[in-house]
Amino acid sequence: MTGFTKRDIVVDGIRVQVLEAGRGNPLVYFHGAGTLTGFDDLLPLSAGRRLIVPIHPGFGESDDDIRIDSVLDYVIHYSTLFDQLGLGEPLDLVGHSLGGWIASLFTVLNTHRVRRLALACPAGLRVAEHPTADLFTIPADRLAFHLVASPEILARMAAVNVTNEMKVSRYREMTTLARIAWDRNYEPKFERWLPKISTPTLILWGEQDRAIPVQQARHWEARLPNSEVATFSGAGHLLFFESSSAVKRLASFFEGELGGLKQAAG
Amino acid sequence: MSVLNNLQFYFMHFMPYPDVAPDRPQGQWVDIPNTRFDPETGHKLYREYIDELVLGDKLGFDGLVVNEHHSTFYSLMPSCSIIAGALAVLTKRAKICVFGTPIALTFPHRLAEEYAMLDVMSGGRLECAFPLGTGMEYWVNPVNPSFARERFREGMDILMQAWTQPGPTRYDGKFHQYKYLNPFPLPYQKPHPKIYVVGSGTEETLNYAAEKGYGYSQVFTPIASQLKSFESYREIAVRNGHKPDSESIIISAMVYVAETEEKAVEEGRDHILFYFQKLLRTNAHINSPPGYLPVDRLRKRLQAGAVQDVAITWEMLTGVYRTVLGTPDQVAERIAFWCEQAKSSKIILHLHTGDMPHWKAVKNITLFAEEVIPRVRKLVSSSLQAAE
Repeated sequence: MTGFTKRDIVVDGIRVQVLEAGRGNPLVYFHGAGTLTGFDDLLPLSAGRRLIVPIHPGFGESDDDIRIDSVLDYVIHYSTLFDQLGLGEPLDLVGHSLGGWIASLFTVLNTHRVRRLALACPAGLRVAEHPTADLFTIPADRLAFHLVASPEILARMAAVNVTNEMKVSRYREMTTLARIAWDRNYEPKFERWLPKISTPTLILWGEQDRAIPVQQARHWEARLPNSEVATFSGAGHLLFFESSSAVKRLASFFEGELGGLKQAAG
Repeated sequence: MSVLNNLQFYFMHFMPYPDVAPDRPQGQWVDIPNTRFDPETGHKLYREYIDELVLGDKLGFDGLVVNEHHSTFYSLMPSCSIIAGALAVLTKRAKICVFGTPIALTFPHRLAEEYAMLDVMSGGRLECAFPLGTGMEYWVNPVNPSFARERFREGMDILMQAWTQPGPTRYDGKFHQYKYLNPFPLPYQKPHPKIYVVGSGTEETLNYAAEKGYGYSQVFTPIASQLKSFESYREIAVRNGHKPDSESIIISAMVYVAETEEKAVEEGRDHILFYFQKLLRTNAHINSPPGYLPVDRLRKRLQAGAVQDVAITWEMLTGVYRTVLGTPDQVAERIAFWCEQAKSSKIILHLHTGDMPHWKAVKNITLFAEEVIPRVRKLVSSSLQAAE
C-alpha cells in the first residue's frame, strides 16, 4: 500500500488538488469541512481500486473559489471534475460529514451515476431532536476535542493551533464553511429529496459523535430506501481517523455483493 | 499652511453599562448574561448620558457622535438613530454624527429613511459614518459574516442610489431587490449628509472609502499605522479624482482635563483603563467569526501578536493610542500636535469613558469646552501666523 500521488487540476478556472492511490474501478471520497487529519487512514480502500480524494475548493491545498456559496455549487463543481477525470462509469462514492452532504445531494441529482454510496456521519439533514452541533460557536482551540471520542488520538494529528499558519488554515476552512453553512448547517429540503436516492447506501456513524449525533443515523436510514446503518463504538466525528474498523467496513461494502444490504424495494 | 484653520471638536459617547459581569476574560460581549441588566440603572444612565451630550452642544462642541453595538455592556445603543433622534430635538447647533448603524445588518432603504429623518429633524445637522460592524455584531444578528463586506458595499450603493437618484428607482442586487426604491423623506442636506467610512485598518475598507471619495476614520489601531493608512487614503483618493481635505480624516482621542496633571490622572486614569480592560476586551473567537476577517488580515494580525492576549497597561495605552490626561495647557498642546500630525482638522474626543461617574464627565466636558478648545485655537492661530 503506497501513499497518495497528488496532482493539480483546474476546474472552472480554479486549481484544485486531487489525491489518488491504487488502480481499478474508481472510488471517490468527499472529505469533511477540515483537512488537518490528512487522508492516509483511507489508504486501505485503494487495494484493487482507484481511490480518488479531491480537495474541495477553499480547503487544504486547493485554491479558493469565492463564487461557491452553496452545497449545490460543490455538486456542480464535482460534476465537472468527474468529467475532467473521465469518470464516466457508475462510480462508488463516500462522503464524510460535509462531504456526506455533498455526496448525497450529488446522488439525488445523479442516482444512476453512483453504483454505491457510503455516508459517514453526514451533515445536511435537519433532525430537530438531535441537532447537528453549531461548530462555529466552538472556539478553535477546543474544536478538535469535540470531534473525537478519545482526546489521546489527537496526538496523531499535526498538533492543532500550534502554529499561526495552522490557525490561519483552520480559519480559512471555517470561512469556506461559513459561506455555505453559517445560516443553516442542513438542507431544509433533504427530507423531501433523499428518497430519490435509489443507490445502495451504507450509513456509518461513530457512537460518540458530538458534532452530528449518532441518533441521526436512523433518520437517514428512514429516508434512504436502500440503506443500512453501521455504528462504531469508541469513535467520534472523525470516524475514519479514529476507527480502523470503520475503514474496513467501508472497504467490504464496496467489495461485497449487494446482498450485504437490504434489497431495493420492489 | 497649517491644516488646522478650521478645527472641529466632536464629543463622542459610547454609553456603556458599567456594572459589568465579573471574571469574564472573554469580555462583555455576545454571550454575556443579559439578565444582569437593570432597567432602573439603564434609565438613569440614559438620562445622564443624554444630558452630557446636550451639555456638549450648549458649551460649543462642533459635533456630537453616537455609535451602535449589539448585545454588549460596552454600549447602551443598539440603535444609534434613537439617541440621535433625541439629540436632534434637544440640541441646537452641533452636528449630529451617527457613527453608525452597520448597513450590512439592516435593510439599506430603512437606514436611508431613518438617516434622512434625522437630517430633516435636525435641520441639516446630520453626518454619517458607516462601519462594517465589529465581528461581535455578526454573532448576534442573523447575517452571515462571510458576506459582511459584500453586503456593506451593496448596502452603500442602495443608500446612495436612494438619496441621489430621483425615485422611484429599481435595484437588483445580490442581497436586496427593490421594485420601488423610493425613500421618503429625503435628506435635508443636498446632495446628502457628509459620509465617512469607519475602518479598523483593513486595506479593503480604506481603498473603498478613498475610491468612492468618502471620508475615512480608523478606530482602535495604533497611531503609527493610522498615519500610514491616512497617507495611502489620500493618495488613492487623489488618484480617483477626489480632493481629500483636512476634514476627510477623523481622528479620535481619550482625554481627561483637570486643574493639575496629578488630579487628571487621579480622576481619569482608572475609567480609561476600565474601558480598555473591561469593556473593549474580547478574544479571537468572539471578535473574528469565520469569514469576518480576510484570511490575510488574520495572518498579519497573528504575526504582529494579538493585542487581546496581552495585558493592557497604562504605558502601552498611552504609547499606542491618543490618550492624554492633564491640565488645559497640556491637553491643548497634545490635541494640536495630533491634528497637525494626522493633517486632520476634525477630532473626536472621548470625554466620558468606562465607568466614569456623571460629575466627572460634566467636569471633563466643561473644562474641555471652556479651557482646552480656546487654547487649541490660539495655538493654531499662532502657528498659522508663524507660517505666514
